[in-house]
Amino acid sequence: MSEAVTFWYGCNVLRHGDIIHSCLDILRAIGFEPSPVGGPDYCCGTVKDVNQTSAGGMATRTVGKLNDRGARVVAWCPSCHSHMHDFMEKGNERQFDITYLVDLLHANRAKLAPLLVHEVPMRVMLHRHVGFNDLVPVNRMVPELLEMVPGVKVVDGGYTAPGYMCASFAALPNALEDIHANTLRAAKACGAEAVVTTFHQCYREIVGLDAARAIDVYNYIHLIARSMGLPYEDDYKAWKRAGEGATQMIGAERIAKVGVEFYERAVLPELRKRPNLR
Amino acid sequence: MSDRALIGQRLKEFQAAEVKRILGACTQCGKCYEVCPMAQYSKAPSQDAKTTVAGALAVLRGEQGTPEALGWIGVCTRSGVCVPACPENVDPKMMMRLARMTALGGRAQPKQIEAKEDRDYFDRIRAFAKLQLTDDELKDWT
Repeated sequence: MSEAVTFWYGCNVLRHGDIIHSCLDILRAIGFEPSPVGGPDYCCGTVKDVNQTSAGGMATRTVGKLNDRGARVVAWCPSCHSHMHDFMEKGNERQFDITYLVDLLHANRAKLAPLLVHEVPMRVMLHRHVGFNDLVPVNRMVPELLEMVPGVKVVDGGYTAPGYMCASFAALPNALEDIHANTLRAAKACGAEAVVTTFHQCYREIVGLDAARAIDVYNYIHLIARSMGLPYEDDYKAWKRAGEGATQMIGAERIAKVGVEFYERAVLPELRKRPNLR
Repeated sequence: MSDRALIGQRLKEFQAAEVKRILGACTQCGKCYEVCPMAQYSKAPSQDAKTTVAGALAVLRGEQGTPEALGWIGVCTRSGVCVPACPENVDPKMMMRLARMTALGGRAQPKQIEAKEDRDYFDRIRAFAKLQLTDDELKDWT
């Protein structure tokens, strides 16, 4: 019998519908019955360092909603997962178990392995950060998951970025430029054909290297999904590669849903942005 | 106590207890600053780890931080390499997180550093969701 779980995917991964859909299919395939929840209404509050009254209210609301679901929570987002342990559960009664997705997949390797049937011939380097790894040893577990994919060879470029994920460097452009440059340099040095990220917050930034045609970039879920034969297309990467041309790919009907003015002011600049490779 | 004051009250009590614990445990040895991979990106890099840490503790006490301490607080991205480096098990990652919240004015203290405001942060997430998910998924999942 399948275990019902709440798949708490977070906020920003909503840029990557293919990742959410793939995670749900993967969870179902290894014996879980996931109910996805996320977005701003399930925000952990970690982005509200500037207002702890607001952060506390968000934490209370989200813990309450997750409590009401009465199931184990499987977290996708490293920010949500660490914020739950560091702060949210300290100010609220957490009544559910919580597991990080990498941890869950790693613990279910025996169920996952026979599902990885399609060859994905690729030498990949994992884009690592020093942070978060103390809470969940993702820098060991993700390569072990990737090595289960037929054809994937994980190579080590010897570079580990500071911080715990790239998105927190948005206000530190010099540091983010260093991460881009060092990641590319390390990948080339070890003969990797692609860089693979653990977190969507890194994928969003590092995929800029792909859009700049410097090296291919994936999230680890992309490679697992491809090996399982899951059909989801990475729209974000396609739009990012297209830059200005994303507008035509997305189409007027979808853009109208978010508003042309907002799309041009707040969405398109992100898709046009390219890393400054020194 | 007003309803607004009660919002997040237990979280604030936890944070206050952590501040008290950290202030009582830290010996200002400076090891956390010495190993920090982000210190090089500070607007006011310091050659004196001990006084920089003392400045961060001053921020936790609600006092004005030194430029070096505020520069360090401003570049903390939770690398966490400070945690095993601390000989007193202070948890400098928590120390810096609370110092950042305080310096940003988030803990009812005067603001000492500026946050990069992104007024479109949540609306941008909602927009990408609308571009990628079906109406039913948006209704049921978010």
